[in-house]
Amino acid sequence: MSTLTKVLIVLLTIASIFLCGIVVTYVANADNYKQKFDNLSNGYAAAKKNEDNAKTQLNNTIEEKNRNAEKLGEQIASLDGQINKLKSDLANAERDRDDATRKVNSWMTIVKDFSVTVENNDKLVKDALAERDAKENELIKQGKELKGTTAALMDNMAIVRQLQEGSKRLLEEKTELQNKLDLYLRQYGKAIAEPMPVSAAPESVRLTPPTKDIDLNGSITEVDLKTLLAEVSIGAANGVKEGMRFHLTRGDKFICDIVILDVWPEKAVGWLELLQDQPQDQPRVNDRVSTNL
Amino acid sequence: MSPVLQSRGKKIVVADNLYTVILAVAFFVVLSASVFVAYQCYTQYDTIFKIQ
Repeated sequence: MSTLTKVLIVLLTIASIFLCGIVVTYVANADNYKQKFDNLSNGYAAAKKNEDNAKTQLNNTIEEKNRNAEKLGEQIASLDGQINKLKSDLANAERDRDDATRKVNSWMTIVKDFSVTVENNDKLVKDALAERDAKENELIKQGKELKGTTAALMDNMAIVRQLQEGSKRLLEEKTELQNKLDLYLRQYGKAIAEPMPVSAAPESVRLTPPTKDIDLNGSITEVDLKTLLAEVSIGAANGVKEGMRFHLTRGDKFICDIVILDVWPEKAVGWLELLQDQPQDQPRVNDRVSTNL
Repeated sequence: MSPVLQSRGKKIVVADNLYTVILAVAFFVVLSASVFVAYQCYTQYDTIFKIQ
Protein backbone atom coordinates (compact mmCIF):
# COMPACT_ATOMS: atom_id res chain seq x y z
CA MET A 1 0.00 0.00 0.00
CA SER A 2 1.37 3.30 -0.92
CA THR A 3 2.00 6.08 1.50
CA LEU A 4 -0.48 8.29 -0.19
CA THR A 5 -3.20 5.70 0.28
CA LYS A 6 -2.33 5.43 3.90
CA VAL A 7 -2.44 9.16 4.31
CA LEU A 8 -5.79 9.34 2.57
CA ILE A 9 -7.12 6.57 4.78
CA VAL A 10 -6.08 8.41 7.87
CA LEU A 11 -7.42 11.72 6.60
CA LEU A 12 -10.68 10.10 5.50
CA THR A 13 -11.07 8.49 8.88
CA ILE A 14 -10.40 11.72 10.70
CA ALA A 15 -12.74 13.64 8.46
CA SER A 16 -15.42 11.00 8.86
CA ILE A 17 -15.15 11.06 12.61
CA PHE A 18 -15.15 14.86 12.63
CA LEU A 19 -18.13 15.19 10.34
CA CYS A 20 -20.05 12.42 12.04
CA GLY A 21 -19.41 14.06 15.35
CA ILE A 22 -20.64 17.35 14.05
CA VAL A 23 -23.71 15.77 12.49
CA VAL A 24 -24.50 13.76 15.59
CA THR A 25 -24.07 16.79 17.79
CA TYR A 26 -26.24 18.88 15.54
CA VAL A 27 -28.96 16.28 15.27
CA ALA A 28 -28.91 15.64 18.98
CA ASN A 29 -29.25 19.31 19.73
CA ALA A 30 -31.63 20.18 16.88
CA ASP A 31 -35.09 21.40 17.79
CA ASN A 32 -38.16 19.20 17.24
CA TYR A 33 -39.91 21.45 14.81
CA LYS A 34 -42.73 19.02 14.28
CA GLN A 35 -43.47 19.05 17.98
CA LYS A 36 -43.21 22.82 17.99
CA PHE A 37 -45.55 22.95 15.01
CA ASP A 38 -48.00 20.69 16.73
CA ASN A 39 -47.80 22.75 19.86
CA LEU A 40 -48.25 25.95 17.95
CA SER A 41 -51.05 24.44 15.91
CA ASN A 42 -52.79 23.25 19.03
CA GLY A 43 -52.26 26.64 20.59
CA TYR A 44 -53.68 28.30 17.51
CA ALA A 45 -56.72 26.02 17.55
CA ALA A 46 -57.21 26.67 21.23
CA ALA A 47 -56.79 30.37 20.63
CA LYS A 48 -59.31 30.17 17.77
CA LYS A 49 -61.70 28.29 19.95
CA ASN A 50 -61.15 30.80 22.73
CA GLU A 51 -61.78 33.54 20.22
CA ASP A 52 -65.07 31.92 19.21
CA ASN A 53 -66.05 31.46 22.80
CA ALA A 54 -65.05 35.00 23.55
CA LYS A 55 -67.13 36.22 20.60
CA THR A 56 -70.08 34.13 21.78
CA GLN A 57 -69.67 35.41 25.28
CA LEU A 58 -69.32 38.93 23.94
CA ASN A 59 -72.54 38.55 21.98
CA ASN A 60 -74.29 37.07 24.97
CA THR A 61 -72.91 39.82 27.14
CA ILE A 62 -74.06 42.43 24.65
CA GLU A 63 -77.53 40.89 24.50
CA GLU A 64 -77.70 40.64 28.26
CA LYS A 65 -76.47 44.21 28.48
CA ASN A 66 -79.22 45.28 26.14
CA ARG A 67 -81.81 43.38 28.15
CA ASN A 68 -80.44 44.83 31.36
CA ALA A 69 -80.48 48.26 29.79
CA GLU A 70 -84.14 47.77 28.84
CA LYS A 71 -84.95 46.53 32.33
CA LEU A 72 -83.04 49.39 33.88
CA GLY A 73 -84.93 51.78 31.64
CA GLU A 74 -88.21 50.31 32.81
CA GLN A 75 -87.04 50.44 36.40
CA ILE A 76 -85.90 54.02 35.94
CA ALA A 77 -89.31 54.88 34.51
CA SER A 78 -91.10 53.16 37.38
CA LEU A 79 -88.74 54.79 39.87
CA ASP A 80 -89.44 58.13 38.27
CA GLY A 81 -93.14 57.44 38.79
CA GLN A 82 -92.48 56.45 42.37
CA ILE A 83 -90.39 59.57 42.87
CA ASN A 84 -93.23 61.72 41.59
CA LYS A 85 -95.68 59.84 43.80
CA LEU A 86 -93.37 60.20 46.79
CA LYS A 87 -93.02 63.89 46.06
CA SER A 88 -96.78 64.26 46.04
CA ASP A 89 -96.96 62.17 49.24
CA LEU A 90 -94.27 64.37 50.75
CA ALA A 91 -96.26 67.46 49.87
CA ASN A 92 -99.38 65.91 51.41
CA ALA A 93 -97.40 64.87 54.48
CA GLU A 94 -96.05 68.39 54.84
CA ARG A 95 -99.59 69.77 54.62
CA ASP A 96 -100.75 67.21 57.17
CA ARG A 97 -97.81 68.14 59.37
CA ASP A 98 -98.72 71.79 59.16
CA ASP A 99 -102.35 70.96 59.96
CA ALA A 100 -101.24 68.76 62.85
CA THR A 101 -98.99 71.54 64.12
CA ARG A 102 -101.88 73.97 64.03
CA LYS A 103 -104.08 71.41 65.79
CA VAL A 104 -101.39 70.85 68.40
CA ASN A 105 -101.18 74.56 69.03
CA SER A 106 -104.94 74.83 69.31
CA TRP A 107 -105.07 71.79 71.57
CA MET A 108 -102.30 73.25 73.69
CA THR A 109 -104.40 76.35 74.15
CA ILE A 110 -107.46 74.23 74.93
CA VAL A 111 -105.46 72.13 77.37
CA LYS A 112 -104.24 75.25 79.14
CA ASP A 113 -107.78 76.56 79.39
CA PHE A 114 -108.91 73.14 80.53
CA SER A 115 -106.18 73.07 83.18
CA VAL A 116 -107.40 76.40 84.49
CA THR A 117 -110.95 75.07 84.43
CA VAL A 118 -109.86 71.92 86.24
CA GLU A 119 -108.16 74.01 88.91
CA ASN A 120 -111.31 76.04 89.34
CA ASN A 121 -113.35 72.84 89.45
CA ASP A 122 -110.98 71.44 92.06
CA LYS A 123 -111.58 74.51 94.18
CA LEU A 124 -115.31 74.16 93.66
CA VAL A 125 -115.14 70.47 94.51
CA LYS A 126 -113.23 71.25 97.68
CA ASP A 127 -115.79 73.88 98.62
CA ALA A 128 -118.61 71.47 97.74
CA LEU A 129 -116.99 68.74 99.85
CA ALA A 130 -116.66 71.09 102.77
CA GLU A 131 -120.28 72.15 102.32
CA ARG A 132 -121.29 68.50 102.00
CA ASP A 133 -119.50 67.71 105.26
CA ALA A 134 -121.33 70.57 106.93
CA LYS A 135 -124.61 69.35 105.43
CA GLU A 136 -123.85 65.82 106.60
CA ASN A 137 -123.23 67.07 110.10
CA GLU A 138 -126.45 69.03 109.93
CA LEU A 139 -128.21 65.98 108.52
CA ILE A 140 -126.90 63.88 111.38
CA LYS A 141 -128.25 66.41 113.80
CA GLN A 142 -131.56 66.46 112.00
CA GLY A 143 -131.57 62.67 111.99
CA LYS A 144 -131.12 62.66 115.71
CA GLU A 145 -133.92 65.18 116.04
CA LEU A 146 -136.03 63.08 113.71
CA LYS A 147 -135.41 60.05 115.85
CA GLY A 148 -136.57 62.00 118.87
CA THR A 149 -139.59 63.25 116.94
CA THR A 150 -140.33 59.74 115.72
CA ALA A 151 -140.17 58.42 119.26
CA ALA A 152 -142.53 61.19 120.38
CA LEU A 153 -144.78 60.43 117.42
CA MET A 154 -144.83 56.77 118.35
CA ASP A 155 -145.83 57.74 121.86
CA ASN A 156 -148.55 59.97 120.46
CA MET A 157 -149.67 57.19 118.15
CA ALA A 158 -150.01 54.90 121.14
CA ILE A 159 -152.06 57.55 122.88
CA VAL A 160 -154.11 58.00 119.71
CA ARG A 161 -154.84 54.29 119.56
CA GLN A 162 -155.98 54.38 123.16
CA LEU A 163 -158.20 57.36 122.37
CA GLN A 164 -159.59 55.61 119.32
CA GLU A 165 -160.47 52.56 121.35
CA GLY A 166 -162.15 54.77 123.97
CA SER A 167 -163.99 56.65 121.25
CA LYS A 168 -165.30 53.46 119.74
CA ARG A 169 -166.37 52.23 123.10
CA LEU A 170 -168.14 55.51 123.80
CA LEU A 171 -169.82 55.45 120.41
CA GLU A 172 -171.10 51.97 121.10
CA GLU A 173 -172.33 53.09 124.48
CA LYS A 174 -173.91 56.15 122.86
CA THR A 175 -175.68 54.07 120.27
CA GLU A 176 -176.90 51.73 122.89
CA LEU A 177 -178.14 54.62 125.05
CA GLN A 178 -179.84 56.21 122.05
CA ASN A 179 -181.61 52.99 121.27
CA LYS A 180 -182.73 52.67 124.84
CA LEU A 181 -183.82 56.33 124.85
CA ASP A 182 -185.65 55.85 121.58
CA LEU A 183 -187.53 52.88 122.95
CA TYR A 184 -188.28 54.81 126.09
CA LEU A 185 -189.54 57.93 124.27
CA ARG A 186 -191.67 55.95 121.81
CA GLN A 187 -193.69 54.75 124.70
CA TYR A 188 -194.68 58.38 125.16
CA GLY A 189 -195.11 59.19 121.46
CA LYS A 190 -191.97 61.17 121.14
CA ALA A 191 -188.91 60.81 119.04
CA ILE A 192 -185.33 61.51 119.75
CA ALA A 193 -183.89 64.69 118.45
CA GLU A 194 -180.89 64.79 116.05
CA PRO A 195 -178.07 63.33 118.03
CA MET A 196 -175.38 65.78 118.84
CA PRO A 197 -171.80 64.54 119.02
CA VAL A 198 -170.73 64.20 122.53
CA SER A 199 -167.03 64.26 123.28
CA ALA A 200 -166.15 61.79 125.92
CA ALA A 201 -162.50 62.32 125.37
CA PRO A 202 -160.01 60.71 127.66
CA GLU A 203 -157.78 62.57 129.96
CA SER A 204 -155.43 63.92 127.27
CA VAL A 205 -158.32 65.35 125.26
CA ARG A 206 -159.78 67.00 128.30
CA LEU A 207 -156.53 68.81 128.75
CA THR A 208 -156.90 70.51 125.38
CA PRO A 209 -157.72 74.16 125.67
CA PRO A 210 -161.25 75.12 124.72
CA THR A 211 -161.77 76.59 121.35
CA LYS A 212 -161.95 80.29 121.20
CA ASP A 213 -163.89 82.33 118.79
CA ILE A 214 -160.96 83.15 116.60
CA ASP A 215 -162.86 82.02 113.49
CA LEU A 216 -160.17 80.06 111.67
CA ASN A 217 -161.37 78.48 108.47
CA GLY A 218 -159.64 76.02 106.16
CA SER A 219 -160.10 72.78 104.30
CA ILE A 220 -158.99 69.18 104.42
CA THR A 221 -156.06 68.48 102.07
CA GLU A 222 -155.37 64.85 102.96
CA VAL A 223 -157.17 62.14 104.96
CA ASP A 224 -155.92 58.80 106.23
CA LEU A 225 -158.81 56.86 107.79
CA LYS A 226 -156.57 53.96 108.78
CA THR A 227 -154.58 56.08 111.19
CA LEU A 228 -157.44 58.60 111.69
CA LEU A 229 -155.17 61.45 110.76
CA ALA A 230 -156.02 64.40 108.50
CA GLU A 231 -154.11 67.36 107.12
CA VAL A 232 -155.63 70.86 107.05
CA SER A 233 -154.68 73.71 104.70
CA ILE A 234 -153.90 76.25 107.43
CA GLY A 235 -150.94 76.25 109.78
CA ALA A 236 -148.98 78.26 112.29
CA ALA A 237 -148.90 81.25 109.93
CA ASN A 238 -152.69 81.45 110.30
CA GLY A 239 -152.65 81.06 114.07
CA VAL A 240 -153.11 77.31 114.38
CA LYS A 241 -151.53 75.78 117.48
CA GLU A 242 -151.18 72.28 118.83
CA GLY A 243 -154.22 71.08 120.73
CA MET A 244 -156.68 73.27 118.85
CA ARG A 245 -160.00 71.61 117.99
CA PHE A 246 -161.53 72.13 114.60
CA HIS A 247 -165.00 71.14 113.44
CA LEU A 248 -165.19 69.42 110.08
CA THR A 249 -168.37 70.10 108.06
CA ARG A 250 -169.62 69.39 104.55
CA GLY A 251 -172.19 71.93 103.62
CA ASP A 252 -174.47 72.13 106.64
CA LYS A 253 -173.60 68.63 107.84
CA PHE A 254 -171.30 67.92 110.71
CA ILE A 255 -168.73 65.25 109.93
CA CYS A 256 -166.32 65.09 112.85
CA ASP A 257 -163.76 67.00 114.93
CA ILE A 258 -160.05 67.37 114.46
CA VAL A 259 -157.64 67.88 117.32
CA ILE A 260 -154.41 69.37 116.06
CA LEU A 261 -151.33 67.27 116.87
CA ASP A 262 -148.58 68.91 114.84
CA VAL A 263 -148.31 72.30 113.20
CA TRP A 264 -146.22 73.56 110.23
CA PRO A 265 -146.18 77.12 108.89
CA GLU A 266 -148.59 76.39 106.06
CA LYS A 267 -150.35 73.23 107.24
CA ALA A 268 -151.30 71.19 110.27
CA VAL A 269 -152.08 67.55 111.07
CA GLY A 270 -154.75 66.49 113.50
CA TRP A 271 -156.48 63.53 115.00
CA LEU A 272 -160.03 62.74 113.81
CA GLU A 273 -162.63 62.38 116.52
CA LEU A 274 -166.36 61.79 116.67
CA LEU A 275 -166.42 59.98 113.37
CA GLN A 276 -169.83 58.84 112.05
CA ASP A 277 -170.60 55.23 111.19
CA GLN A 278 -172.10 55.93 107.76
CA PRO A 279 -169.62 55.77 104.89
CA GLN A 280 -171.00 58.92 103.30
CA ASP A 281 -170.29 60.81 106.53
CA GLN A 282 -166.61 59.95 106.59
CA PRO A 283 -164.24 62.93 106.15
CA ARG A 284 -163.00 63.62 102.65
CA VAL A 285 -160.62 66.01 100.94
CA ASN A 286 -161.92 69.58 100.52
CA ASP A 287 -164.26 69.27 103.51
CA ARG A 288 -164.42 72.55 105.42
CA VAL A 289 -162.73 72.91 108.81
CA SER A 290 -163.36 75.77 111.23
CA THR A 291 -162.95 76.57 114.86
CA ASN A 292 -166.53 77.69 115.13
CA LEU A 293 -169.65 76.12 113.75
CA MET B 1 24.30 4.02 23.19
CA SER B 2 20.99 5.38 24.33
CA PRO B 3 17.62 3.87 23.47
CA VAL B 4 16.45 7.15 21.87
CA LEU B 5 19.25 7.07 19.51
CA GLN B 6 18.50 3.49 18.86
CA SER B 7 14.81 4.35 18.14
CA ARG B 8 15.85 7.07 15.81
CA GLY B 9 17.96 4.74 14.17
CA LYS B 10 15.16 2.26 13.47
CA LYS B 11 12.24 3.09 11.12
CA ILE B 12 8.85 2.27 12.51
CA VAL B 13 6.76 0.18 10.20
CA VAL B 14 3.01 0.02 10.57
CA ALA B 15 1.25 -3.05 9.46
CA ASP B 16 -1.39 -2.78 6.76
CA ASN B 17 -4.02 -4.23 9.00
CA LEU B 18 -3.92 -1.11 11.02
CA TYR B 19 -5.23 0.94 8.17
CA THR B 20 -7.95 -1.64 7.63
CA VAL B 21 -8.95 -1.24 11.24
CA ILE B 22 -8.92 2.53 10.85
CA LEU B 23 -11.13 2.23 7.79
CA ALA B 24 -13.45 -0.07 9.72
CA VAL B 25 -13.66 2.37 12.54
CA ALA B 26 -14.43 5.16 10.12
CA PHE B 27 -17.04 3.02 8.50
CA PHE B 28 -18.73 2.17 11.78
CA VAL B 29 -18.56 5.77 12.85
CA VAL B 30 -20.26 6.90 9.66
CA LEU B 31 -22.73 4.03 9.91
CA SER B 32 -23.62 4.77 13.51
CA ALA B 33 -23.99 8.46 12.72
CA SER B 34 -26.29 7.65 9.83
CA VAL B 35 -28.37 5.30 12.01
CA PHE B 36 -28.57 7.90 14.72
CA VAL B 37 -29.67 10.58 12.27
CA ALA B 38 -32.22 8.24 10.75
CA TYR B 39 -33.55 7.32 14.19
CA GLN B 40 -33.85 10.93 15.15
CA CYS B 41 -35.64 11.80 11.94
CA TYR B 42 -38.05 8.94 12.35
CA THR B 43 -38.81 9.64 15.95
CA GLN B 44 -39.32 13.36 15.43
CA TYR B 45 -40.95 13.54 12.04
CA ASP B 46 -42.24 9.96 11.59
CA THR B 47 -40.30 9.64 8.37
CA ILE B 48 -36.67 9.47 7.21
CA PHE B 49 -36.60 11.14 3.84
CA LYS B 50 -40.07 12.54 3.15
CA ILE B 51 -40.68 16.21 3.82
CA GLN B 52 -44.18 16.91 5.03
